[in-house]
Amino acid sequence: MSFAGLFGGFSDVAALIARMLPPDFYQLSGIISATIETLWMALLGTTIAVLISFPLSFGAAKNTTPNKFVFALCRGIITMTRAIPDLIFAAIFVRAFGIGPLAGILALGLHSIGMIGKMFADALENADAMPREASVSTGASKWQAIFASILPQATPTMIGTSLYRLDINVRASAVLGLVGAGGIGFIIQSALRSLDYPSALAAVSVIFIVILAIEFFSSKVRASILGERSASVVVVRSQSERSIRRTGRDRTLLVDAVTMRSLVPPLTSDRKSRIISVWVYVIMLAIALGTINMPIFSSFGYFDDAWRIVAQLVPPDFTTARSELITGMSESLAIAFISTTLGLFIAIPLGLLSSRNIVVRKMVFVGTRSMLVVFRGIPELIIAVLFVSAMGLGPVPGTLALTLVTAFFMSKLIADTFEEVDPSPREAIFATGATRIQELFGSVLPQAMPALVSQILYMLDVNLRSSTVLGIVGGGGIGFLLLGSIRVFEFGTTGAVVFSIFVVVYAIELVGSWVRGVLDKAN
Amino acid sequence: MSLNRFDQEADPIVRLSDISKRFPNGTLALDKVSLEIPRGQLLCLIGLSGSGKSTLLRHVNGLHKPTSGSVDVMGMRVSEAANKDLREVRRHVGFVFQQFGLINRATCLENVLSGALGRLNWPRYGVRSYPKQLRRLAFDHLDRVGLADQAYQRADTLSGGQMQRVAIARSLMQEPQMLLADEPVASLDPESSGQVLELLLKIATEENMTVICTLHQVELALGWAHRIVGLRAGKVVLDRSAIGLDQRDVMDVYQRVDVTGAPTSDEDVPTSISNS
Repeated sequence: MSFAGLFGGFSDVAALIARMLPPDFYQLSGIISATIETLWMALLGTTIAVLISFPLSFGAAKNTTPNKFVFALCRGIITMTRAIPDLIFAAIFVRAFGIGPLAGILALGLHSIGMIGKMFADALENADAMPREASVSTGASKWQAIFASILPQATPTMIGTSLYRLDINVRASAVLGLVGAGGIGFIIQSALRSLDYPSALAAVSVIFIVILAIEFFSSKVRASILGERSASVVVVRSQSERSIRRTGRDRTLLVDAVTMRSLVPPLTSDRKSRIISVWVYVIMLAIALGTINMPIFSSFGYFDDAWRIVAQLVPPDFTTARSELITGMSESLAIAFISTTLGLFIAIPLGLLSSRNIVVRKMVFVGTRSMLVVFRGIPELIIAVLFVSAMGLGPVPGTLALTLVTAFFMSKLIADTFEEVDPSPREAIFATGATRIQELFGSVLPQAMPALVSQILYMLDVNLRSSTVLGIVGGGGIGFLLLGSIRVFEFGTTGAVVFSIFVVVYAIELVGSWVRGVLDKAN
Repeated sequence: MSLNRFDQEADPIVRLSDISKRFPNGTLALDKVSLEIPRGQLLCLIGLSGSGKSTLLRHVNGLHKPTSGSVDVMGMRVSEAANKDLREVRRHVGFVFQQFGLINRATCLENVLSGALGRLNWPRYGVRSYPKQLRRLAFDHLDRVGLADQAYQRADTLSGGQMQRVAIARSLMQEPQMLLADEPVASLDPESSGQVLELLLKIATEENMTVICTLHQVELALGWAHRIVGLRAGKVVLDRSAIGLDQRDVMDVYQRVDVTGAPTSDEDVPTSISNS
């Protein structure tokens, strides 16, 4: 691929977007029901993942695991589910369970175990060991002690992680439809295929707004559940009338509970909001289960077909499509490296523009920040689909799409790093009569460098995962072979592709954590 | 007295006969210690750090086993007991830690309730998972340590002295025959320290419960204990009723120079259970 090709791509995309305008909402009811389906998929997928991750995390945490074998097994499952992208699970499950949301839900459920399980296990490991010792010394059994003293310390992190993952999964489920796994992605895909661009834009903008709304909403909920406002300590701050009245009420409830020696915890506003959240969740779950047609409950024979296909993945067949496998994998690696590098070049100036301690004009950084927030709301595969539609199949549109995503994402990380830079060396350098640019290179960059390097590694890690699925929408790389092998029922090859992706992603993760360890030591 | 039969009524409740403890690194932590402790006594163990106080305490509930000699607690030969029997002993012996060991996020009531786990069958989570009569009992114990009004406050909102009292209420919840307290007031201010020791004395007297408490503040020991045992370099150098004892007698315990040249400095003696 040439640089001329890379940059020519942007004008093709501009032309495509011009043809999309104005969006046409004639399919609105279809779009809305697909959007709702997308949300339910995310909810159910996350629920499945949490249900599996919870027991798994006890096996995968050093302080709660029964023995080394269980530990290795649980950690292994977690690592594997994290290394295989959800879209790949979805592509396989669509074959196994047929087109529809079920494949998507299972894909989200499996892939999310990787992150949720790891975070849950870390939360358990981070718990203070003293209360547990105290529990054991009262004669509590191992699991009584774990539930009474380790688990309560981990719950806030567990709830926070689950909500955060729900957020991520809403985004992810928007694109699962691209491989036929239900949701709005399906509508976008078919609109683009039938060259109905204005309708595609309508669908993209609806899901885009929904994603932003959910992100906003879930961060509010997370803050209110995990606000760690002490359940009943009443601190009347100089806040609004309403909050004073509320703390007053909490105190009354508490005093009542104490005078009555209530054996049930008093209904403070904190507890109330927690109970409401649980009920909202239960009701949504019930609606989701009722709305989404999941034949898994109606027939168990269904599982046989699915199992037969999954079983065909092993042993992996590396010989049939050997050269395609090598080309695809190296293409994916190339896409990841190039898009990370190019994205970085765009991200550094954007990051500078959105750091409040570097740009003097408030307008500039607020403007850049909000623009970036908006762009980050678009799922990367949607961007990839747009580029592929504009420029045709191949690795170039895929690389461009990943470059843009990298730029949007990196610039936030970079801005955050710059804002954490210690201001005193900067003053010292200004005091020597340096220009703003000299100061930037002389004091800001050196301080931010270690953090930047580890962010670049992280981005490379993320991009490698993404580049393996780009091929599914025609954006080049190994994903193309994966989808092809599923279409022609060569599941041995599918297994080989999945295995290779796992190995490469895992290797990059190991290299990344090794480099980060070296960096940490150097500091 | 028949050995290896658990007897809650046994008196003296603890009998240490000639116990010595040498840690794998060669340190002699206890040197031929013999003690009999009757019911209802508040016994304070004093001595420099490294004198063997904590090691002695951990021999009582079997966290450490002696190199020679024997430990009998409630008729059970703890120094030779199997794990299952040890758990039975521990259920009846409350342990109070210097650092409290409370779950910060949980309410006081929940922390106290967790003391009853040894009598329950399944894991529990949250106040409502415990039977109502246990919740009532937990309230009684909180009342006893003067913190019933704080029942639904998070443990980390309390002061250090209050936290230690919640920890004591948790120990009471297990309905122990004896309380072991390892430096229970070391991280508390003088006023809270006094409250905690007053509470321990009250429990010892009212419940006829044995309390063994390690301390490094001599004045506190003199003020609250029934009996004071001083350790130096693993040997008992003082064992007297607190009545009529004065500061000077006790300060002998802290004499650092020993003519025989035995290790008397602040050498750290390992106290972790892994050495048992």
